[in-house]
Amino acid sequence: MTIDELRARAAERQQTCSQIKKMIVSRLDLEIDPDWITDDQPLFGRGLELDSLDVLELYVAIEAEFGVALYDSEMAVFGSVSRLAEEVNPALRASA
Amino acid sequence: MASVLASAHPQQTVYGQVGDATVPLRFSSLDEEYKVLRERAAVLDLGGHGLIEITGPDAVAFAQRVLARDVEYLTSDRCMMTLLLDADGQVVDQVLAFGREDGLLLESSCGAGGRLLAHLQANNDEGVEITDRSGDLTVLGLEGPYAWGVVGRLIDAELASLPFESVVDTTWNGADVVFARTGFTGEYGYQMIVPVEHAADLWRQSLEHAQAAGQEALELAMLEVRQPIPRHEVTEGATVVEIGANWLVDVTKDEFVGREAVLAAFEAGGGRRTIGFSGGEGVPAPGTRVWVNGQDIGEVVHAVHSVGLGATLGLARVDHDLAAAGLELTVGGTEVTTLTSPYIVPKSWSIPII
Repeated sequence: MTIDELRARAAERQQTCSQIKKMIVSRLDLEIDPDWITDDQPLFGRGLELDSLDVLELYVAIEAEFGVALYDSEMAVFGSVSRLAEEVNPALRASA
Repeated sequence: MASVLASAHPQQTVYGQVGDATVPLRFSSLDEEYKVLRERAAVLDLGGHGLIEITGPDAVAFAQRVLARDVEYLTSDRCMMTLLLDADGQVVDQVLAFGREDGLLLESSCGAGGRLLAHLQANNDEGVEITDRSGDLTVLGLEGPYAWGVVGRLIDAELASLPFESVVDTTWNGADVVFARTGFTGEYGYQMIVPVEHAADLWRQSLEHAQAAGQEALELAMLEVRQPIPRHEVTEGATVVEIGANWLVDVTKDEFVGREAVLAAFEAGGGRRTIGFSGGEGVPAPGTRVWVNGQDIGEVVHAVHSVGLGATLGLARVDHDLAAAGLELTVGGTEVTTLTSPYIVPKSWSIPII
C-alpha cells in the first residue's frame, strides 16, 4: 500500500473519530474543543471522566447520529473514541 | 533511594533504578505477576513515587498555577491525575494530586520525586511550604479485577466501592492511612499512603490476600490501556499533544504554567502523534525508525513484549496524518500494525464489585 493510500485510510478513521468527538462535546455540553479529545483517550473513569448517566445519553446520541444501537454492548466499546469509531463505522474494523 | 519495604521483599526480588528510586522490577516472573494483575489481585510497592506536601495560606493558589488541571475545589475526599509543565509546555511530571485540609499532597510518577520537588521549589513565587514526605510516608497499591475483595478483607468492604478518585482518611492497625480509589491499569485500583513504620506490616498482611507484582508488570498493564508512563513517553521536545496526554491538561483553565505553549502547539496542528502498534520480530528499541515504503514517518517511543497479546506491543510517534489504527507500517525491518486503544480489555470492566 502506498503512503497516500495509508493516509486516505487514516483520514477515514480520523473523520469518524472527529464526528464522534463533536457529538460527545455537543450532547454532554463539554466546554472543550472537540479536537482536544484524542482518539485513544479513555472515556470513562480516567480520561474524559464520563459517568453512567453520560453513557445513557451517548447511547441515544449514537443511535440518532449513526443509526447504530449499542444498548447491549459491553463497556469495551467505550474504551476510546477510536474503539467507538469501529462500532459506528464497521468498515474501519474490517480494515484494522 | 531504596524501597522502605526492601526488607519485606522476597530474597529473589530483582531491583532496578528508575529515576531517583530503586524499585522492585519483579518478585517472581513477569508472566506470573502480569497474570495476577490482570486476573486476580496484585499488591504493588509504589515506594518509588515521591510524596510532596504543599501547605500554607497560598497552597491552593500555588497548586492551581503549577498544575495543569483545575484543583481549586479539590477537597480532602478527592484526588486527580494531572501534569506539571514548564513554561515551554514540556512535561515535568505526571502526578496524583490529593486535596488535603491544609493544602495538597502530590504523588510523583515513579522515580521522579526529586525532579518534582525541584520544580515546585523553583516555581514557589507564593512562598508556600513545600515538604518532601517521601522519608516518612510511602505508597502501597492494590490492582486487579478482584482487588476490591482484598480491600474488604484488609480494611473495610465499604471502601472498595468508593467512586473513582475518591479519598478517605482511615486507620489500619492504629496507623493513619490515606486510602484512595485510583488505578493505573484499567483494573480496579486502590492506593494506601501509610507511615513508613507501618508499611512492612501492611505489605505482609496484603500478601495474605493477594500476590506482589513489580514495576515491569505494572508498566506493561499501563501500556496496554494507554495509561501514560512519563519515563518512557516524555521525550525531548515532545509536546503534550504529541504525547497524547491532553486528558491530563484542562485547557479551559485560565492560567497555569505552560498553558500558552500547549495551546500554541495545539492550534498549530501538524507535527506527530502517538499510536500503539503490535507485531514484528523482537522488541524495537526507543528511537527505531518507522517507515512507509522507504519514507521515514516517525520513531518508536517505547516497546515491550506483551504477555496479554503474546506479541510485541509498542508506541510510535508518527506524522499526524498517519497516526491511526489499522495501518501496516515498517518498524526497523519488520511489519507491524497500528492499534486501537485499549490494546487489552481489562477484566474489571465486566466484573461488578459485590
